[in-house]
Amino acid sequence: MAVLGIPILEDLYPSTMDMWPLEAKEFNRNWMFYENLKQGRLTTTKCKDCGLVSYPPRVICPECYSENLEYIDLPKKGKVIVFSEEVKGVPLGFQSPLIHAVIDLGVDPARRVLSRITNCAAGTLQRGDEVQLAVFPVPALPIDKGKLGTIMSERVFFAFEPVKK
Amino acid sequence: MARNAVILAGGQCKWGVREAHLVDLFQEAAKACFDDIPTLKPKDVDGLIVASSYAGRCSFQVNTAPVIAERVGVKPTSICTRCDTLCAGGSTGIILAMGLVQAGAADIVMVAGGEKLYTPQKWEVFYSELASVDHDWDGVHGMGLPPPFFALTAQEHMMHYGTTKEQLAAVSVANYNYATTNPVAQMQKALTLEEAMNAPVVVPPLTLYDCCPITDGAAVCIITTDEIARKFTDRPLVYIRGTAQVCLNSVSANFPGVHLADWKHTRIAAEKAYTRAKVSASDIKVAQTHDCFSISEVIEVEDLGFCKKGEGGEFCGSKQIEIGGKVPINTDGGLLACGHPFGATGIRQGTEIMKQLQGRARHQVKDADIGLTHNLSGANAEHTILIYGKEPVK
Repeated sequence: MAVLGIPILEDLYPSTMDMWPLEAKEFNRNWMFYENLKQGRLTTTKCKDCGLVSYPPRVICPECYSENLEYIDLPKKGKVIVFSEEVKGVPLGFQSPLIHAVIDLGVDPARRVLSRITNCAAGTLQRGDEVQLAVFPVPALPIDKGKLGTIMSERVFFAFEPVKK
Repeated sequence: MARNAVILAGGQCKWGVREAHLVDLFQEAAKACFDDIPTLKPKDVDGLIVASSYAGRCSFQVNTAPVIAERVGVKPTSICTRCDTLCAGGSTGIILAMGLVQAGAADIVMVAGGEKLYTPQKWEVFYSELASVDHDWDGVHGMGLPPPFFALTAQEHMMHYGTTKEQLAAVSVANYNYATTNPVAQMQKALTLEEAMNAPVVVPPLTLYDCCPITDGAAVCIITTDEIARKFTDRPLVYIRGTAQVCLNSVSANFPGVHLADWKHTRIAAEKAYTRAKVSASDIKVAQTHDCFSISEVIEVEDLGFCKKGEGGEFCGSKQIEIGGKVPINTDGGLLACGHPFGATGIRQGTEIMKQLQGRARHQVKDADIGLTHNLSGANAEHTILIYGKEPVK
């Protein structure tokens, strides 16, 4: 049998097939969100001119179009409002059961954040359960730096997990 | 004075798992459309709007409009472009075509929508669908495939309004049974309430028949002015009376309603479309709603104003969506049974309403004079409504 896949992609990284954000400074002006996440902080941006807190973070305030923004911390714990468990047909890159929940973080505008729930067996989560931020590493982003070669930019992403009772 | 836009003709290819390329599907749909209006020839068409969102990922083809123009044999001289609003692509194309012909910037516009979603390896389409929503904030949580999102929506509707699983199943049964006589629908099997209730679980509370299938397919319609249309047909003309497209958010965390079953953006779109069309919800004799999931239709009948908020389950469960009911809905099978090749859906919906208003639908609603189509798209981000009538707005 012939080799599966596309031989010309051997050892190459196609960003069009990457399910994670291009978190690096070179490709994303929201890179500070991910740097904060690496420190275990869930953050977003607040406009220093009009006071609007946006989630997700922005590089320009969508209300007054100021570029004078700062990162602020969001709560790392919240409560499950509703949740769903997908057992079959889980997309590539995710494991079954794929659990999603609407989580109330208790502050605006993050009162109804939709997140994946990790470290949770099927059939155990309940409405009203307390969940906490769970940061995990994801594959590094290979960035072509010309004569310097390819550097590997470390990446993380987040979900929420049940708080142990 | 602005010209009046009408939908002159429409057609679609057989939808389902198709052994065909994307551009094959567009050719078949264009043929079906010209078969519907034999006096019109490809050379008469001066504009083309192509609605396709997945051509780039699933067929490795972007800049689709000229590709489709050449394949279907039209040579646009006023507009040749693609629009990408996912599930609402076809409806968006009709709105754009309407504006162009009303303004005199085009005379006869073909609106062609289609998707080829089945790829040689099935995992690829599920993976690519992660791009349907905001990639960095929702897709990355595995939210590209809608069942989890609409399962949460269904839970909230059940929680707040007491909607039952049986009421959801009633939507699937009605829509599947309409499609049994539709030769181009993906699903053509009669469905009983018992089968719907006992179907395999997808994401609780949604089971198999609560979810529309993955579909290859294309549909084509022709938008022109009433004056031009009369040169080609003696059929009653079907006017586009009023439209609206509302988008208040994209990321799910910023959903505009109080909860996921509260569709504020649908209500705003409906109010605007009704105002522009100079009609009210009670004037709608037949409708095509976006039943991507059974729960969607339940919420849509509420937020389109066909019944009170919270009573959608009872409305659907008591046969008000069937012929003889208050507003017969999805009389060709809807998304649940026809299937849902995103960009094609709004064109299929418009074509069915055109046939209803001309008195030539398979499941004809008696004396239908005002009809409505509704699409939602993304993670319930955008709502698109068109209102058609046998008379222009005066």
